[in-house]
Amino acid sequence: MQPLEQNALNQALDVLWARFLPLIEERVHLLESAAAACAANRLSSEDRQAASAAAHKLAGVLGTFGLTEGTVLARELEMLYSGQSAPDPALGARLAAITAQLRSIVQNRK
Amino acid sequence: MSHRILIIDDEEDIREVAGLSLETVAGWEVFLASSGAEGIARAIEQQPDAILLDVMMPGMDGPATFRELRGNPATARIPVMLLTAKVQSTDQRRFADLGVAAVLFKPFDPLTLSTQIAAVLGWD
Repeated sequence: MQPLEQNALNQALDVLWARFLPLIEERVHLLESAAAACAANRLSSEDRQAASAAAHKLAGVLGTFGLTEGTVLARELEMLYSGQSAPDPALGARLAAITAQLRSIVQNRK
Repeated sequence: MSHRILIIDDEEDIREVAGLSLETVAGWEVFLASSGAEGIARAIEQQPDAILLDVMMPGMDGPATFRELRGNPATARIPVMLLTAKVQSTDQRRFADLGVAAVLFKPFDPLTLSTQIAAVLGWD
């Protein structure tokens, strides 16, 4: 691939990032709500499944936009939410911390 | 050489990035579908050279869609590659055992996705 073509691809990816950023932020917001619900011991089964699905989707897409660390964090969240039961409320702070890192990575993509 | 490829994925962001990548980097003609049912219809209609098929989709998932494609004489010979964000080896083995041409992983690198596909399918 010529440098000019690579530049064109990167520019097109930036356009797609801007287009899909609201969807990506919506998924992060869902994870923030799930972490808060877990800490308060009121995470329902539906909330947990929705959080697992949101984390799965973020894991799949963030690295595609160059955010490899975001994929690693999202995979960790997916694993934590994908058990048969809700994560222990004691994990709430950990879930919130990972989600905050994820939020920062998404917000700071250049 | 230009190829024609169908991407079936319920996630619009992944669908669009994969499509952009294959069009921009490789110059292939890309068709998009957002569900298994739509994908099967597009495959019958367009007869693509290959299909990139997401595993986790609501309703008819990737493996079920693959079985439908294989069972239909109009699409049975089109190579299918599964695309998944599942990283566990048990999942990977289960997908590979279906008889697909390859299992590719999300996230993919938009710069090299077409090279990866071409290598799997023996395309120049």
